[in-house]
Amino acid sequence: MSEVLEQIATMLQKGKRKDVAKLCQQAIDEGIDANEVLTKGLLAGMDVVGAKFKANEIFVPQVLVSARAMKAGSEVLKPYLAGENTTGKGKVVIGTVQGDLHDIGKNLVIMMFEGKGFEVIDLGVDVSPEKFIQTAIDENCDIIGLSALLTTTMPVMGEVVKAAEEAGIRDRVKIMVGGAPVTQEFADSIGADAYTEDAPSAAEKALELLAG
Amino acid sequence: MNSMERVVMALNHQEPDRVPVYPLLAGVSRNLIGANCREWSTDADTCAKGLLKAREEFDLDCIVTLIDLSVECTAWGQELVFPEHEAAHPNYKNQVIGDEDEYDKIQYVDFHTCDRMMMHIDVCKKLVEASKGEFPVIAFVFGPLGTLSMLRNQEEMYVDCIEQPEVVHDTAGIITQVLQEYCDALLDTGVQGIMFDTLFSSGSIMSKDMWDELEGEWVQQLAEHVHARGAMVMIHNCGGKIYFDAQINRMHPEAISFLYPPDDCADFVECKEKYGDVTTLIGCVAPTTVTVGTPEKVEAECKANIDAMAKGGGFMLATGCELISPDAFDNARLMVDIAKTYGAYKK
Repeated sequence: MSEVLEQIATMLQKGKRKDVAKLCQQAIDEGIDANEVLTKGLLAGMDVVGAKFKANEIFVPQVLVSARAMKAGSEVLKPYLAGENTTGKGKVVIGTVQGDLHDIGKNLVIMMFEGKGFEVIDLGVDVSPEKFIQTAIDENCDIIGLSALLTTTMPVMGEVVKAAEEAGIRDRVKIMVGGAPVTQEFADSIGADAYTEDAPSAAEKALELLAG
Repeated sequence: MNSMERVVMALNHQEPDRVPVYPLLAGVSRNLIGANCREWSTDADTCAKGLLKAREEFDLDCIVTLIDLSVECTAWGQELVFPEHEAAHPNYKNQVIGDEDEYDKIQYVDFHTCDRMMMHIDVCKKLVEASKGEFPVIAFVFGPLGTLSMLRNQEEMYVDCIEQPEVVHDTAGIITQVLQEYCDALLDTGVQGIMFDTLFSSGSIMSKDMWDELEGEWVQQLAEHVHARGAMVMIHNCGGKIYFDAQINRMHPEAISFLYPPDDCADFVECKEKYGDVTTLIGCVAPTTVTVGTPEKVEAECKANIDAMAKGGGFMLATGCELISPDAFDNARLMVDIAKTYGAYKK
């Protein structure tokens, strides 16, 4: 593999966003295809970050700085990627459910999804069931990801599942749930397709769901 | 045996008549007195009335004055939002430290100028008076790093922890100075101890070394001060894989309130074996179970906690975090019943 791509992956793991942006530009200037820079540089680095995060070798602050480095690199690559979902892994709409303003867990999941090559639409916090469903339809999403940190907002996840059924899209979208108070038992009770207890596992589970 | 006697025995690692119990009912106590969230969290009379009503209705052995996590940050002018049905929180679009170079906005302030801190002190006064020494009142204080996180967007603060750790550390030190004086005023009301929320000392968030570097020194200072006043230090931390060893090393707490087994224990049984003689264990029933679980599930979880940690005292049955919905009331009553029956110590 090209030395510059290895450097991108390494600097991303260290969270050096200026270096990552500079190296991405250097790679493009050297004539490396933007998609290759994305997959073998940025995503390769993020994959290591996700694995280390899951193994408790690194923690939330380190993941956040790496994610920002990835974003800086992606910005450089964007004009060369022409806005396409270049990895073809799938499209995810994600948000924190209505009544809940917590977003760090959700943001970590987004980083892990992007690190696996998913295209992610982030609806932010306090998102209504209608908004999740409409976006999934309009954007032809494969997965709806729901986050909640409060026991009082968890029931909204069930409302989203019902709304997907009523909208007639339940058979073509997978619904994933997560957040501190959420359990596998709760996920089963509302008919969600998957629950995972941490962000890296969510991204891995998403790959499994779409593969199979 | 009254609640005070029961809790004191448990804290002394002796077996009282039964395990002390308190499902953590704080803000939700407003539902018992017909108040809304804003009234409950801004008016000392209403807040104290709600907490006392919860103690009376559920027969709780202890009151912990968890109002919300945005009490301390208002001393530095943090604008809050008061939703009708949930806890107050910072206006995330208008944080005091809006940018990485704005940490110097945090300077020493006189806590007497902070309405919410003064209100909390007033609540403690009222509760201590009402307790007549029959049950303990523990004042809840968000730790230095926690308070800082309410002044700075939390996600941004995490990045700052990597990119300018010395600034984060030093600012937490300034906050500590104010919190120490605040703790003095809380202790002057006669509360038996301070429960510090050390949210960040958890494998869910940051490494043990990073926590110790950024907050260890400051919580040690606070804990030593509270101990020097002859009061108890307690810790609340509902994160995953929390760092018992690092926090005990710094704070020597009389008790730790927690939700999940610590980072160096596989389960609550191992936690009891490792730390049961060092500190009193408070917990660890999941709020989700109590809020949406069946009575059978609540009963099983309470019994498992008692089986794992009650032997020899040094244990209080509680939820690992706050119950925020009135949907939890029936199961909270069940928790107390289980403590009274299954949690009875056989002499």
